[in-house]
Amino acid sequence: MGASLLQAVFSGLALGSIYALVALGFNITHNTTKTFNFGQGEFLVAGAYVAVSAVLLLAGKPISGALSEIEVTPGRYFAALIVSIVVLGALGVLLYHAAVKPFVGQGGLAWVMSTIGFGIIIQNTALAIWGPAPLVMPSPLGNQVIRIGGAGVLPQEILVLVASILVMACLDFVMRKTKIGKAVRAVAHSGPAATLMGINVSAIVVLAFVISSALAGLAGLLIAPITTASVFMGLTLALKAFSAAIVGGLNNARGCMLGGFLLGLIEALVGLWQAELREISIFLLIILVLVLKPEGLLGRRMVEKV
Amino acid sequence: MRFGKGHAIGVALAAAAIALAPVLITNGFYLKVLFLIGVNYLAAAGLNVLVGHTGQKSLGHAGLFAVGAYTAALLTARLGWNPWLAFVAAGAMAALFGVLIALPALRVRGPALAMVTIGFGIVVEKVVSEWQDLFGGQAGIYGVVPPSIGGSALNDGQWVWFVGALGIVAHLTIRALLRGKYGRAFMAVNTAEVAAESVGVSVYRFKVLAFVISAVTCGLAGALIAQQNQYINSDFINFNLSIFFLLIVLFGGSSVYGPLVGAVVLTLLDAFLARWPTAQHFTYGALLLFALYAMPDGLSGALGRLAKKLVPALARKPALPAPTTGWKLRATERLAADKPLLQTRAVYKAYGGVVPTNNIDMDIKTGHIHSLIGPNGAGKTTLLNILSGIVPPDRGSIEFAGRSIVHMVPNRICAIGLGRTFQNLKLFADMSVLDNVKVGLHRHMRSGFWSCLLGLPNAQRDERAARDEALQILDFLGLLDKADEVAGSLPYGLQRRLELARALATHPRLLLLDEPAAGLNPQETQDLVGVIAKIRDLGVTVLLIEHHMDLVMAISDHVIVLDYGEKIAEGKPAEVQNNPRVITAYLGTDEPDEDDLELEASHG
Repeated sequence: MGASLLQAVFSGLALGSIYALVALGFNITHNTTKTFNFGQGEFLVAGAYVAVSAVLLLAGKPISGALSEIEVTPGRYFAALIVSIVVLGALGVLLYHAAVKPFVGQGGLAWVMSTIGFGIIIQNTALAIWGPAPLVMPSPLGNQVIRIGGAGVLPQEILVLVASILVMACLDFVMRKTKIGKAVRAVAHSGPAATLMGINVSAIVVLAFVISSALAGLAGLLIAPITTASVFMGLTLALKAFSAAIVGGLNNARGCMLGGFLLGLIEALVGLWQAELREISIFLLIILVLVLKPEGLLGRRMVEKV
Repeated sequence: MRFGKGHAIGVALAAAAIALAPVLITNGFYLKVLFLIGVNYLAAAGLNVLVGHTGQKSLGHAGLFAVGAYTAALLTARLGWNPWLAFVAAGAMAALFGVLIALPALRVRGPALAMVTIGFGIVVEKVVSEWQDLFGGQAGIYGVVPPSIGGSALNDGQWVWFVGALGIVAHLTIRALLRGKYGRAFMAVNTAEVAAESVGVSVYRFKVLAFVISAVTCGLAGALIAQQNQYINSDFINFNLSIFFLLIVLFGGSSVYGPLVGAVVLTLLDAFLARWPTAQHFTYGALLLFALYAMPDGLSGALGRLAKKLVPALARKPALPAPTTGWKLRATERLAADKPLLQTRAVYKAYGGVVPTNNIDMDIKTGHIHSLIGPNGAGKTTLLNILSGIVPPDRGSIEFAGRSIVHMVPNRICAIGLGRTFQNLKLFADMSVLDNVKVGLHRHMRSGFWSCLLGLPNAQRDERAARDEALQILDFLGLLDKADEVAGSLPYGLQRRLELARALATHPRLLLLDEPAAGLNPQETQDLVGVIAKIRDLGVTVLLIEHHMDLVMAISDHVIVLDYGEKIAEGKPAEVQNNPRVITAYLGTDEPDEDDLELEASHG
């Protein structure tokens, strides 16, 4: 019992760190533009597929080929990470100009629909290139289960956890301590005031979308070896990451990370008890949290001035 | 009333087309497409009330569709209910779930609201797919009984008639509802919730109502699908269905014809691109991505603009009748002469260490003009917000017209006769000037929900009376020639004037004005003095916050001075003017402080 609990905690944390990465992406663009990419799940999938293709090409195979475990060396995996982040960052720029920029500052659902639309186009492009078959991406660290306190943990799960915590810590540091982080926070507070202080607001906003998309790409690359990735897995992942962001507090980066881990843990623990109740319990819980604390666990309350 | 006649002809033509279609078309596929257009229209027509008019996001209406579908399926297939009865029950059950989803949705807004509705949709989706004993999961429920006429189940043609009839009923009722006081209240909630409450519209009630309306039509759409297919399974219910419904509404536009245009175009697209799934998906993606950019108010909005450009007569609005009599305030019961209209005792409010309202005692006498003055940050607006119910006080008592109004919601406080305007204008910017004033009259229009939904004569009479009265009020404030203009496009001074008109329309006994002269030029400020005096002469008691001292001194009977949340003086204007504490609060003390002395010493 103890071992399976521990195992669930590990896989919950690994999954949670994926949610946290994507949720963090939501947070960054929401702070700067009050919008975010509803098609983030498709970006995540794209990240995974681009990475697999990159490894395949490095191994001298066509992109339609299948990867065997030996071909995924840590070096190739790392190179694939770079490729995936660069491609997704570029997609983020495209997304911003095509789907977000026309609607920034408008309330309503226009940007929700346009980003979903962009995601659908990405998804079908992926479908056209790679087909509907699930994607096989062996872990660069192999499949040898590591025993920790009786629980079996995959090396990839540890990699996911370590890598995402590193990235999040870096981002947290950059946002709080550096000049560019200060600029991002100034834009988040008030775009017009930031402009008057000489900050290039449009550059910061594009940067926010680049970071957000790159985070999704990273999440895709990290998660590909632990789930059977397919073109259609994005929606569920993105919805859960969105839930994580809302529960933690969409306007608070640390809240988003906390929400991600929390959600991953709850999902894994409920799954231990009754697998088919996972999603139901998560979403009921989220509705409950929002009723009690509409701004999220760590979110700042928005007060309308009258 | 040319427009009304045009609408009647349009509806008659649509009815004739629906009646003839099954006779002329025998191809089962085409009939099915017509049926689906009707189903999608029905779902979108209700959703449009929620999304387009009340401004609430919902990404979970597939859940309500499921409630209707499974109610009809279980009642007929498992419990053997009469299929007609089960169809009605599906709508009722969906309405119940509409309330259920509205309650958490009321507490949140923006992305969190989207989350609540997504969560609801997913929970329903998972329940019907995982609870296999009851809902059959992916295997689904077979043997759903369709309604029958004369012992035989509806055939494809009769289904088109049925759904067509439902669509026409939905169109007529929703149109009647949206053109009257309910439609205005939905729009008011959409644009400015605080202002809606302040003129007596219960934000709570109208949000729940909008959710219920959209739930009923979505639930009926679900029941139609289940009963027509005689089968339902969990694959029907998914996030994409919620998005599809939303796309119909947004793509169609928020006009009453929007859902129709959206349903026709998107259902046809769906049906005829089904053979090429890739093309279908790319088309959807492109539509979602670009349609709202190209047509911000949807296809119906774009078509409407085009039509007005081609046929200028359509753009002309019917002339409004000139008011024949002046406006009068509705008589209210008189208070005893010695009793103040409003009395506060020890009202206290703190935000952490800041105390913007510190034990305020205040008496407002009927028929007088009272001014509340004080330096910036003295707590004037907070006090006004407490009086009008927007901010609850921490303690203290407030009696208005002999009733305690502490912890009463703003729309109730408005209903017993307290009106207000806002320092930062809160007009219903997208509505016409006339409609803004009509929202103010909301509480005084007696016709109920069903009369408005069915467009009964008493609702129409009410509507005409409200228009006439609103015109009288506009005339009273010199805004009559602006009646047809969009409120947000008026110059600033007139927007302030319009807020006054809207507040007056609630027939207040006490009117709270928060800096009515802010941003006005000297001439407009001068005019305002006359306007406020006119309002007092109608019998309205006034309490105003103002920084223009000449205005305050010219019209006030009584002046109350606040500083740092405390009342430091009150009395007649002249008395207050000479009060040393007031002079200190505004100008500082005469005693030179130490820095100045040092400075003088060093220079000396």
